[in-house]
Amino acid sequence: MKKIEINPMTRLEGHGKIAIFLDDNGNVDDAFFQTVEFRGYEKFLQGMPMEEVPRTVSTVCGVCRGVHFTAAMKASDGVFGVTPTSAGRKLRELYFSSHYVEDHTVILYALAFPDFVVGPEANPAERNVVGLINAVGAATGKEVLRRRSLAVKIFELLGGKPSHPVAALPGGWSKQLTEEERKQIEAWSEELVGLGELTLKVFDDVVLKNDKYMQLVTGDMYKVEVGYMGSVNDQGQVAYYDGTQKVIDSAGKVVGTFKGKEYLDFISERVLPWSYLKFPYQKKLGAWKGIVEGPGTNIYAVGPLARMNIAQGMDTPKAQAHFERFHATFGARPVHHILAYHWARAIELLNAAEKCLALSRDPEITSKDIWNKPTSCPGEGVGIIEASRGTLIHHYVTDSKGIVTDANLIVSTTHNNAPINLAVKKAAKHFIKNGEVSQGMLNYVEMAFRPYDLCLACATHTVNGGQSPLEVEIFDSNGGLYKTLKNF
Amino acid sequence: MKTKCVVIGIGNPYLQDDRAGVVVAEQLERDGLACQIEVVHTVGLEVMDKVQGFERAIIVDACKLGNAPGSILEVTMDDIFTTHALVNSHAITLGTTLKTGYVCFPEEMPSEIRILLIEVKEIKEFTQQMSPEVERAVAEVVERIKGMVGAMAT
Repeated sequence: MKKIEINPMTRLEGHGKIAIFLDDNGNVDDAFFQTVEFRGYEKFLQGMPMEEVPRTVSTVCGVCRGVHFTAAMKASDGVFGVTPTSAGRKLRELYFSSHYVEDHTVILYALAFPDFVVGPEANPAERNVVGLINAVGAATGKEVLRRRSLAVKIFELLGGKPSHPVAALPGGWSKQLTEEERKQIEAWSEELVGLGELTLKVFDDVVLKNDKYMQLVTGDMYKVEVGYMGSVNDQGQVAYYDGTQKVIDSAGKVVGTFKGKEYLDFISERVLPWSYLKFPYQKKLGAWKGIVEGPGTNIYAVGPLARMNIAQGMDTPKAQAHFERFHATFGARPVHHILAYHWARAIELLNAAEKCLALSRDPEITSKDIWNKPTSCPGEGVGIIEASRGTLIHHYVTDSKGIVTDANLIVSTTHNNAPINLAVKKAAKHFIKNGEVSQGMLNYVEMAFRPYDLCLACATHTVNGGQSPLEVEIFDSNGGLYKTLKNF
Repeated sequence: MKTKCVVIGIGNPYLQDDRAGVVVAEQLERDGLACQIEVVHTVGLEVMDKVQGFERAIIVDACKLGNAPGSILEVTMDDIFTTHALVNSHAITLGTTLKTGYVCFPEEMPSEIRILLIEVKEIKEFTQQMSPEVERAVAEVVERIKGMVGAMAT
């Protein structure tokens, strides 16, 4: 086997690169996905007062602003040794659930649906959000976007500031909800539930009723057999804001459960020379075994599909019905078909919308008792949440004045790094035969990692003529560059 | 009835020259520009939300298009509209978010949008210090926007 060396991309933040190696017959021998490392935020946070951290980390990513904010806020509870009041926790959950609705909507309509509604082999110029709107009609597009904006309004109303939230307090929440605001959120949440139902209907009509697409959804070319991790509540149902982390192996057997700092007993991170991004694996299943799938692997994935696999159900009635249909469709658990991430995401959108509605009707949501004042000395805290894209861990250590001395952040894309590599390799092996490659093939390979919704350009958005550029380099059996495909 | 004007600064406030748009917006707010001022940290659909309901919008963002650092470009929505399928949901471009707005909410979008881009020099480290070239460009863009808004008032 020839030695493969690939230099990590450094030209542009957010630049992804796939390297595909062909054998003598022009078939895929190996494939790798590379991206730049999470960009040093841990270092930047050192020396910062812990109470400033949630607000600051909300800029880690302009899209994922709410998830980093929430994880850091939960960690700050631990650092200051304080538990939020019941009402404070509910406000946090309401805020976080609205963020879920917004984020899942964008992921589904801008990223996932164009492949199915416009078509995986359609002209790339049409296979985007504008092409999607042209396909479904401006009226439908307008309705989806309008309802999505209601989730943003809830997010901003509770967060206390447009775009990036400021309401976090160790031990609670700084923004009390008035009855007038509660009524407004309740009305908006009813529309969000409608958005969730509409989205599942779109998925049903476009994907589930289309035999060709279902062959892709249930096919081996998009199947990655790994373990999974996600949060569950006391009833074993999917949890986003808080819960117990549950870890299963690729056969569905429970490896263990953990909370907080115990993550260090379950997760190790492997550094490989060809990527800046680390490769987490399940420590309880033994030492690093490589980027391999199937029985015995200690690679695991996170995100919507992972949560469907680790949980017994959903905590809201409408989403629960779809959860049952989801598993009835696939039969065996865990479900390893990665295009099912999109279906799982649509179910979670509805679930989060139902949560918004339930919380908006909770009598305690307008309580004045929203903050437990910290009284103990600062120290150490871990905030684990289920971000839209998967488990997000923020771990901070402070000195006695609450100044951050150490920080560790493990984001969803890092957890999913190895599965993404497996997915890309599998799709490439299926779609590239006899050295025949085309621009259309790039989309089929991209479809292997879109389900994970990579956070490549997490902290920068600079206009570069076409964001998150992706480059595919294909090498022949002698290691020579055979072909390059770019989307930029 | 639409409100007259909004200025939106886009950028990561902690990422070197990427913060240029944010700094422009903050400076205009300090100077009391008679205009709605907004800051967003990404070019996603949020920008579409922010410009709706205004007659005119001025958007300032950083760019990396191969020009000399500190160059100021004025572009149109079509200039920066890209049709690539997305690699991830974070990759929605400014041109795409604006075009989406005009397709779905034509009556609520501004009749005029001016887009100013500042070419970055460094966007690799987390710092609030911009390069001198971009510092100068930020000052120039601040004055240019004051002129634009002043011209709207006359």
